[in-house]
Amino acid sequence: MKIVAVFINLVFFLLLAPFLEGVMRKITARVQSRQGPPLYQPYLDLLKLLRKENLVSAENWAFRLAPLLAFASMLAAVAILPLHGQENILSHEADLMTLIYLLTLSGFSVLIGALSSGNPFGSVGASREMMTIIMLEPVLAMTIILGAVRNGTMSLPGALQGVASTESFSYFLMLAVYLLALQAFVSRQPFDIPEAEVEILEGPYIEYSGPNYALFRYTLNIKRTFYAWLLAGGFLSFLRPANLFLDLLLQTALIILLFGLISVVGATHPRFRIDQAIKYYALLIVLSLLAVGLGVSGL
Amino acid sequence: MWLWNKIKQLAISWKSGVVTLRYPFEPRPAPAGFRGQPIWDHTKCIGCAGCANHCPARTIFLRDICQEIRILLYDSSRCTYCGRCADLCPEKAITMGDHYELATENRPDITQTIELFMMTCQRCGRCYDLEIKNSLDKLHTLGYRYDSLEVGKVSRQNTAEFSPDLLEKTKTYERPKQLEK
Amino acid sequence: MNKKEFLAGLLKDKLGSDFLGQEVSSDHRLFVDIEKEALLPAVKLILEQGGRYQVGISYDDRKNHQSFALIHTLAFDRDGLLVALRAFAPGNNPEFDSITPVVPGAGWSEREYHDLLGLNFKGHPNPKRLVLSDDWPEGIYPLRQDVPHDLMPPSAEEVAFRLEQAPPGTSVIPFGPFHSSLHEPAHFSVYVDGEDIKGCEYRGFMTHRGIEKLGQTELTYNDVPFVAERICGICGSVHSTNYAQAVEAAAGLKIPQRAEFIRVVILELERLHSHLLWLGVAGHLIGFDTVFMQAWRIREKIMWLAESLTGNRKTYGLIIIGGVRRNITKEKAEDIRRVLQEVEKETLTLEKAIIKDKTIHKRTRGVGYLSKEDAIKWNLVGPVARARGLDIDVRRDHPYAAYDELKFDVPVAETGDVWGTLVVRLKEIYEAIKIIRQCLDKLAILPENEPLALELEGPIPAGKQGLSVVEAPRGEAVHYVLTGEENRPERWRVRAPTYPNLQAVPDMLLNNKLADFPIIVGSIDPCISCTDRVMVVELRERRVRIVARQELEKISRKMRLGR
Repeated sequence: MKIVAVFINLVFFLLLAPFLEGVMRKITARVQSRQGPPLYQPYLDLLKLLRKENLVSAENWAFRLAPLLAFASMLAAVAILPLHGQENILSHEADLMTLIYLLTLSGFSVLIGALSSGNPFGSVGASREMMTIIMLEPVLAMTIILGAVRNGTMSLPGALQGVASTESFSYFLMLAVYLLALQAFVSRQPFDIPEAEVEILEGPYIEYSGPNYALFRYTLNIKRTFYAWLLAGGFLSFLRPANLFLDLLLQTALIILLFGLISVVGATHPRFRIDQAIKYYALLIVLSLLAVGLGVSGL
Repeated sequence: MWLWNKIKQLAISWKSGVVTLRYPFEPRPAPAGFRGQPIWDHTKCIGCAGCANHCPARTIFLRDICQEIRILLYDSSRCTYCGRCADLCPEKAITMGDHYELATENRPDITQTIELFMMTCQRCGRCYDLEIKNSLDKLHTLGYRYDSLEVGKVSRQNTAEFSPDLLEKTKTYERPKQLEK
Repeated sequence: MNKKEFLAGLLKDKLGSDFLGQEVSSDHRLFVDIEKEALLPAVKLILEQGGRYQVGISYDDRKNHQSFALIHTLAFDRDGLLVALRAFAPGNNPEFDSITPVVPGAGWSEREYHDLLGLNFKGHPNPKRLVLSDDWPEGIYPLRQDVPHDLMPPSAEEVAFRLEQAPPGTSVIPFGPFHSSLHEPAHFSVYVDGEDIKGCEYRGFMTHRGIEKLGQTELTYNDVPFVAERICGICGSVHSTNYAQAVEAAAGLKIPQRAEFIRVVILELERLHSHLLWLGVAGHLIGFDTVFMQAWRIREKIMWLAESLTGNRKTYGLIIIGGVRRNITKEKAEDIRRVLQEVEKETLTLEKAIIKDKTIHKRTRGVGYLSKEDAIKWNLVGPVARARGLDIDVRRDHPYAAYDELKFDVPVAETGDVWGTLVVRLKEIYEAIKIIRQCLDKLAILPENEPLALELEGPIPAGKQGLSVVEAPRGEAVHYVLTGEENRPERWRVRAPTYPNLQAVPDMLLNNKLADFPIIVGSIDPCISCTDRVMVVELRERRVRIVARQELEKISRKMRLGR
């Protein structure tokens, strides 16, 4: 069962992630009075990209390695997540530090790819992405660390259970901070600054095409799913039904709901400038530190 | 305030509903009076060349191939669908159709040719003289990109006033080498 | 004494023997011939009187006078007067004094004629190539009369525009020639320090179609409106109306009243759809695609209306010299009223939803700021100028068609930024609706079977000048026509509103963030095809060169790291 749990995790995320993008596109289209593509469109997009020729525009290994590294580390990150609140076979090797590390690694792979491409738009995108990572990773880390502090354990199932302990004030503060940061975590408007199509033409991904780009797209989709899952499987895990199947169903429903919210917010905001976003992120960091402080002092 | 604005924005979308059409799957007919592809009625055409003389895009070509037969050729690949030909036709032989899906790989699909049998003048025996430079001949010699609708390609020719040594200069002109860094 | 007589007297006094003559024309136009040495002092004199520089016009007149002519036109907006100063330079040594040091907005006109007619401008601060492609051979000036319109010099490879060096401490971000925020080819080489824009250089004119040359060599008077309409994909009617007005002015024609009102209806419909289009594009450029879609949804109603009125969504093809081609009947007028009511209501809803949105304010306020003084310096026109406190509108100041019988306001904002432009454009939507309603009321009174176009009596006399201005959605468009032989204009000059506005963009960009580049450039609603309309039939040989993929990558690499 402990081995199967890993596979269930992987299959859950791999299958769900493109569908959620479809949901997002459909809802965005609805807000914009459009028909929108069918829900399964992202799967077709990915398949089409994967079948295309891999154009490598920079002659260095970092450029080729970056998408693989990004995808692999993201897969590893979702593989070690506890399923149904239980630890799996990897849980002994991986604690919450590993999770944070893997997520950061995935983000940095995008940076490496962008910088090694030598494209000026890529460099601008990379510098924006870098600022975003520096400002946002602490918020994520604080969220999980708060759980670890509460439960006094570094293991993932324990820490995530700690995240969901609703009896304290810090839980609600952290939940608010997380919800405020969610739009930035999933890099949708107003926080899709590193990609900003009209300014820097998808920034970090500008030189990527075909399967390499498909991997980046897939990584981004799984990343978005993960951040939504953290709310469903972390903050709201006290709702968890006893049956594993029902649990997955509930999580899916919650995640879809969240994506609906993300799409609506995304469709009703213009993009911020990076300097405006940084101020917002800074506020989030301060609030999340405050939440951890409260958590440490038992509130 | 912020939330109220967002709700107002969402309300607009809610009220208007989905407005995009499933276009290629569902046809969208053009309204009455639409200027689509011009269609020649060969029974009405008298071969006066009014359309050919006034076509701003010069897409209509007229030529007598023998004493009795006059050819009208319309190549829509450059047509701007202004409808000037239909306006000016004295016999109302041209109607602007409502067909607008004209993209094709095959040029004859959008080309119209009419063979007109002309009467000969009882007095002089001919109606139209090919040798004399008249405005119809000019249509052939002047023009735009592919000047000759007859051969359907660019004919690189120059107006009479252009001095030949200037053209020579363009041929032998030494191009600047790549710019130094 | 009216302004025209006063100016003519003043020029005669100050220039003395350099004043050569004055053409008989209407009260609103002053055509003066002067010696070429007097051009700079005369322009200075008129600027001192409060003139606004419009455009330079030049043509090859070696056939008649063995000389090249150069005309500078200036506008007096308060007095409804346009002044055109014409000077001649000998055909073998076409040199004029540059007026760019006095009027920076004249820089492009002069560079253009250096490229196209081989005129030299003494003292021009930046005499770089502007219009011709980089591989066009030196010494061939396509607008000269001995060069055929279809001349195709062979193309050259490895020739590139010599861009300026980036200032120290900055790096170059190339916006263009193809970039998703520029909807037409243009190249901005933007110098950035981190995210701050420290300067930029513009290289445009990549889509020359040789329309002016075509009009002067191939087309006839009544062909040109249909080609003029294709100068721009958004304000096509503006150009065809403007051209027709210039010819009518030169020939002294007065078109039927009904045609005048129909022209106004069409022009204002065009303004409606253009403003809604711009509102949408502005939303898109700041990443707010919902505004884009909703504005375009409203705009679509106007497009369909135009389709049923004129026979096409965009290229209306309604204008001919002497009038219009289609009538607006009672039933059509009812259609228009119905659509206008819907559009007005929906625009109001959209405006209420976005006008107080803090997030939009954040992206537009203080962005692309230009002071009123700079706006005057660069001769800005249209909503871009009105957003900077310049109260100019050709419809009110130099009324044409039926505008002198209509009542409307000219919205002006003082903020001097993109936000001001947005507010001005939004308000103009309601003004346009107001104007169309007045026109429909007037049309209902006029007899419906009145002829729509004049029957021309005899040919249009040669050698007459006509100058016409029309307020396009983006600002003032200027057309100049010098009538010629063979039923076609001798010279036809088009100046689109983007022409002056684009020259000021480097100043607007300065010290803004890189992220604001799209909305700043977008705020002037640059119509590259209008600006590039002119000149040369630049037909490259359609040589197919097969490039191996690796080679292609190498080339692109080299170009990217080259600078």
